[in-house]
Amino acid sequence: MELEELKSTWQALSKSVEKQELLTDQTIEKMNWEKYRSKLNKIGYSEYIGSIICFIGAAYLFMNFAKIDSILMQIFAIIAIALLFVLPIISLKSLHAVRNSHIASKTYIQAIEDFAKRRTRFQKLQKLNVSMALFLMLISIPVLSAIQGKDLGELPHFWTLIFPITVIFFVGFARWVLKYYNKILNETEKMLSEISN
Amino acid sequence: MDKKSQFIKVIKEHEGLILKVSALYTNGLEDQKDLYQEIVYQLWKSFDSFNERSKLSTWMYRVAMNTAIYNLKSVKKRINTISIGTETERYAEVEDKSEKDKIRVLYESIQSLNLLEKGIILLYLEGKIHQEIAEIIGITPSNVGTKISRIKQKLKLQIIKQP
Repeated sequence: MELEELKSTWQALSKSVEKQELLTDQTIEKMNWEKYRSKLNKIGYSEYIGSIICFIGAAYLFMNFAKIDSILMQIFAIIAIALLFVLPIISLKSLHAVRNSHIASKTYIQAIEDFAKRRTRFQKLQKLNVSMALFLMLISIPVLSAIQGKDLGELPHFWTLIFPITVIFFVGFARWVLKYYNKILNETEKMLSEISN
Repeated sequence: MDKKSQFIKVIKEHEGLILKVSALYTNGLEDQKDLYQEIVYQLWKSFDSFNERSKLSTWMYRVAMNTAIYNLKSVKKRINTISIGTETERYAEVEDKSEKDKIRVLYESIQSLNLLEKGIILLYLEGKIHQEIAEIIGITPSNVGTKISRIKQKLKLQIIKQP
């Protein structure tokens, strides 16, 4: 097939597609309303519910702080409270970072560059978020035990089996997640280098 | 005519443009429908900013193509072209088998290009002049000419590879 033939194929296809009248006044209005609502829902539910859970967790630790005797556990509890406040903020921030803005005022190249920049920032924030969340999970175990007055060392096989398996699982999971984010970051970098050539 | 009626008129006149852009930048029917809706929504959001001095189609291509960029799920070049071709064929009611093959080759060739090349070739195939392509893409008209020549070479090689 020749290139010119492709062009004529495109033009024939275009003519045929343009003849179709798929939209009515109502479908256009409905489309805009649904899109607007789905955007609100996307931010409304998952992000805010996640944030509320984190704040409840922080409040629980704060209210039970007096029950923790050991200084090390108190330090862990302070770090956990701080993380439970910071994590949702990072999450919301990263979400806002990829939201569209001023689409009409940008050229196509500017849109690609801006999208790549936002995506890179988002992936980096997500990487930070995942690492901190895993750290939070690790320090929460002894802190929660301390609040309930239990000694982890008394649990059968805790230090010999449960703790090492948990750490291995967390490290494996973190590596898998970070590998995924790094892959997207590499793809984005490649996209940018392609347009600059 | 009020703003809403004006907007609906514009969208109905250019629905083919929105369909073509959403078909080229997505992978599968669901994504295509979602992008189609997103483009209509973004056009509505920026309808006030439309400057009468620039051509309506220039503004529409700019918003549609930029929206497609911001909605990219993956920046991988190769995506499932069969479903895209099939879906556009459905709208275009293409029944001839050789025509279907040509459309498939056309889509597969375009999908082999990077994002910048894809944008330029889309506008070129739509019959836009270099000046208008330059305005939408954000490069000089002479650069458009150079890029189109390169893309033609690339597509030629790609087409030779096709059965």
